[in-house]
Amino acid sequence: MIWMTWRQFRTPALATGTLLLALLGGLALTWSEVTELATQTGYTGCQGDACRAAAETFLQALQPGWASEFHIAAIGALYLLPALVGIFWGAPLVARELESGTYRMVFSQSVSRGRWLVVKLAVGGGAAALGAGLLSLVLTEWAQPIDGASADRMNPLVFAARGVVPVGYATLAFVVGVATGLLLRRTLGAMAVTLLVVVSLQIAAPFVVRPWLAQPITTVTPLTFDGDFGISMSPDTGRMTVHVEPDRRGDWVVSSTTITSTGAEFTGPADLTRCGPRALGGREACQRWLGEQNLSLKVSYVPGSKFWGLQWREFGVLIALTVVLSLFCLWWVRRRLV
Amino acid sequence: MTSALIADGLTKRYGRRSALNDCTLDIPAGHVVGLVGPNGAGKSTLLQLACGLLDPTAGRIEVLGARPVSGSPQVGFVAQDTPVYAGLTVADHLRMGAHLNPSWDAALAERRIAQVGLDPKQKAGKLSGGQRAQLALTVAAAKRPNLLLLDEPVAALDPLARRNFLQGLMELTAEQGMSIVMSSHLVADLERVCDHLIVLVASRVRVAGDVDDLLATHHRLVGRRRDTTELGVGRALVEQSHTEVQSTLVVRSTAPIVDPSWQVDRLDLEDIVLAYMSGATGDGTGRVLEGQR
Repeated sequence: MIWMTWRQFRTPALATGTLLLALLGGLALTWSEVTELATQTGYTGCQGDACRAAAETFLQALQPGWASEFHIAAIGALYLLPALVGIFWGAPLVARELESGTYRMVFSQSVSRGRWLVVKLAVGGGAAALGAGLLSLVLTEWAQPIDGASADRMNPLVFAARGVVPVGYATLAFVVGVATGLLLRRTLGAMAVTLLVVVSLQIAAPFVVRPWLAQPITTVTPLTFDGDFGISMSPDTGRMTVHVEPDRRGDWVVSSTTITSTGAEFTGPADLTRCGPRALGGREACQRWLGEQNLSLKVSYVPGSKFWGLQWREFGVLIALTVVLSLFCLWWVRRRLV
Repeated sequence: MTSALIADGLTKRYGRRSALNDCTLDIPAGHVVGLVGPNGAGKSTLLQLACGLLDPTAGRIEVLGARPVSGSPQVGFVAQDTPVYAGLTVADHLRMGAHLNPSWDAALAERRIAQVGLDPKQKAGKLSGGQRAQLALTVAAAKRPNLLLLDEPVAALDPLARRNFLQGLMELTAEQGMSIVMSSHLVADLERVCDHLIVLVASRVRVAGDVDDLLATHHRLVGRRRDTTELGVGRALVEQSHTEVQSTLVVRSTAPIVDPSWQVDRLDLEDIVLAYMSGATGDGTGRVLEGQR
């Protein structure tokens, strides 16, 4: 059964493998560029307050080189991989057999349907995990100086392209493809539905699933308005909102709102004699007025130290879904198919 | 006599539509059995139930004394339209058979491929219908099953390919001695190879028996028009048709018919099958044109 699975699977597997090898090669070639730049700019081995500036210089120096191109390409590939694996590996796996009638040939051999699907799921899912895992592992190692300098690996966009999470997305997408193919029995339809499901999953994860898994910490601090802040207001009604960027370097800020002393979100109304285009005294007057309003900043955030804990948690959820969906496929192929 | 396949009240429904309804039959082992009937009689459903591709909705089916499951090494199956993997070569199909069947007979498979003139390096998607059928038959036969089921294997083939396929099948049965059940809606396909015949119409067995017996016991009687109830003991009316002056009957009788008022003719297998397919006693008049060629 393993031979048969490999014989049917080798073309898409080799195509995807070639793509991954090209990216891995690019990362290998630019490895020294990243470490050398980190040393030259003084970021490696920096101490205390000097680090912030050195990090900036290091990131600036990286911009024109190949390294940043490959960085973006590798992140893109890790986002694209689940969709590709689901569409081209998973969806046709069973659907094509049902569509062309060849399931009647293979089910007439001396191999049970259950074993047939178990081997296919294991080989395809294993290959998906291996490919995504290898690229993610290499990228995580390669980008270590960059992630240190930018303190950006909790950023939802970067988070799903680091560590073990990409493995979970790739295997889940593969099984989603297999399951839709099994239910729809049409390759093309299964491909379209798989794409839709995988993309929705990738969008829903950072907005819904991850905040729920991460259990963000909420803090409320009084606002003094001596730093940077942004105002948007309507000069007619006096409705205004204040936006302050919390200083949470390295953390993932899930939400930040300006609240009044009652705890409600601050929406004005502004004193139009001190704020807005008709007010005298300019920005300072408005700033003083805001300072008198007793406003606070409510920040909900996930500390950067929780990176690996969150990685494993999200990975666990994805793998659990993969297992449940695989068991469903097995049950279906043995009990409900044709 | 042992049975290759026993069905008892076997029913397969898809929602409200029933593909096979309350079918009861007993197919003996050690024969090449032809399963013949019009389209929609349930032949294909019966064979797919027999190889475990389908599960029955109701009733019982036993194949070689056990409930059928797909993946059994005992039963080989060549599906309708003989599906093969278009992207795999002929040699790949044989390797698949070798990997997936512990009882695989590689020598038989290679000999047959050479015999029917298939190029092992050819992609199966580029084969003609006849070559595809030969490949599917080879894969099914080299598994060395005790029972080989073939579902309309020659329906889509041209006459020459049809003859070659049936020729190959006959050689296999002579060499291997496996039981074979083969369905078709054309008797001509079956009479070359089958020694036992079952006529299935609307899930019911109309007649079943060894081909020689069927040929010996069926007669066509032609005489002046008369009432048909006076046939006598041991004779059964299969089909009747009447004109103003003449009656034509198809009669099953174990004893020879010696009656000077009838002109007695022998029937060939196709006549017998058509007589059974075209209708039961009493309502055959309306469909008599179908019965007469």
